[in-house]
Amino acid sequence: METGIRILLLTALLAALPGCASVRDWFHQRAERRAERRAAEAQRTEPRESEPPQDESAPPRVIEPEVSRRKITVPRITSSNVELGLNYGALSIEDFGTNPVYGITIGYHITEDFFFQAETGRSRGGRTSFETLGGNIQLLTESERRFTYYDLSLGYNFLPGEAFIGRGIAMTNAFYLLGGIGGTDFAGDTKFTVNFGAGYRIVPADWLAVHVTVQDRVFQSSLLGTTKLTNNLEARIGTTVFF
Amino acid sequence: MAHSTSTTRSIPPFRSTECRPEWSARLRKVALASLVLPALLLAPALARARESLQVFVAQPYLELHTGPGRGYPVFHAVPRDASVDVLFRRTEWFKVRTERGVEGWASQAEMLKTVLADGSPFVFSLGDRAGFTSHRGEMGLFAGAWGGANYVSGYASLSFNPQLALEGAVGQFLGRFSNGVTGDLGLTHVIVPEARASPFLMLGVGEVHTEPKATLVQATNRTESMAYVGGGVRIYLARRFFVRGEFKAHWILTKRNRNEEADEWKLGFAFFF
Repeated sequence: METGIRILLLTALLAALPGCASVRDWFHQRAERRAERRAAEAQRTEPRESEPPQDESAPPRVIEPEVSRRKITVPRITSSNVELGLNYGALSIEDFGTNPVYGITIGYHITEDFFFQAETGRSRGGRTSFETLGGNIQLLTESERRFTYYDLSLGYNFLPGEAFIGRGIAMTNAFYLLGGIGGTDFAGDTKFTVNFGAGYRIVPADWLAVHVTVQDRVFQSSLLGTTKLTNNLEARIGTTVFF
Repeated sequence: MAHSTSTTRSIPPFRSTECRPEWSARLRKVALASLVLPALLLAPALARARESLQVFVAQPYLELHTGPGRGYPVFHAVPRDASVDVLFRRTEWFKVRTERGVEGWASQAEMLKTVLADGSPFVFSLGDRAGFTSHRGEMGLFAGAWGGANYVSGYASLSFNPQLALEGAVGQFLGRFSNGVTGDLGLTHVIVPEARASPFLMLGVGEVHTEPKATLVQATNRTESMAYVGGGVRIYLARRFFVRGEFKAHWILTKRNRNEEADEWKLGFAFFF
């Protein structure tokens, strides 16, 4: 069954790749030839009607206008849609306490409403209450306690506005919603992670932004006996630079 | 310049002749660095300032908003035949500066009505159906399944023409029995680029790195080459967005006796630029 699909796709590809390209060229060429033929015919018919009156009645041109048009080379307009930044905050890892987290974000603004964002961050899981009460029990090794997340999210800006400092300074700002998918490396395993959150962005200069973001990362964990969905809340503050 | 002077002043007077060459070398280095660093930092800004494009208002007036969004209030109107310098573009908004130095944001729709110094219209790439048919590149992210495991993936493509594009994708699959990452590079052929729902076919090669879960026997990490053939459809939504769904059939070229096969299904959001 699967091999069938593969063969079908391969055949379709083989047939379509050169076939479509050449057929489309034919059409283009045919259209061009038709246009050329029409132009040639028009040229053939025009002189008969328009030439004689010009020769007899119209006076010869005295001044030949020689206006050379200025040629303008259009410089490339720089786009500044990419936002790159660092952030720092606190991450509450379910059962493992709240710990500092630092990370990198890179965003791409597609429209004034939507943006894509890739995030990665690192934190460290603390001791569970089981380990604290149990005395000398170690559930995870030191390297397994490292918590690394990375994800891709889609963001939506809502409630855009302006914030003012006194009379003279106005800064654009917006709240945004984030949602996406990614992975989390923790306790010696990588888990499929869904994230959602919200944030606030203030833009003091065209090239600089300050963010405050709260995000929840949800993944399935069976570390403490039962399999359950864990919620890992993160609050962070960061600065980004627009490119 | 002022910066380098202040550096000179902060250096204490020399006490002995022996340490003079070292000090002077260090001083020279600091002076050089203090000159070069601001120059490096300012270079793009200066280049940008010099190269900004001048356009002329051909409509009755050009409205300038306080921010790059439809809701920001209009605070200034540039009259017909006046010029503005285009500083940069952010999404669908242009930051412009008038002759008098007023800076504000003009919308893409308004900027389309301006003209260049020779009277020709100011043209730039738009996020619309025409752009969907013919564009420079695409980027997107997907969720899906890879051989039965959850799959997260992102891709970017570079278009040679409306029909043919070079495409690279990276992904991570997270399953019950194994995790891993994949990387693909191949060609995509869009059959009917003009259509709102346009199908495409793909052919390429890739690499897959698999990490079986530690509880299974013979669990060794492995990296293998693969080849794929696939097909899918992209459906234009609005502005620069489209939905893209695709299927890829992979042949994994293993070092074992039999080659493996893996199917990849995914659906995601993408945009063109």
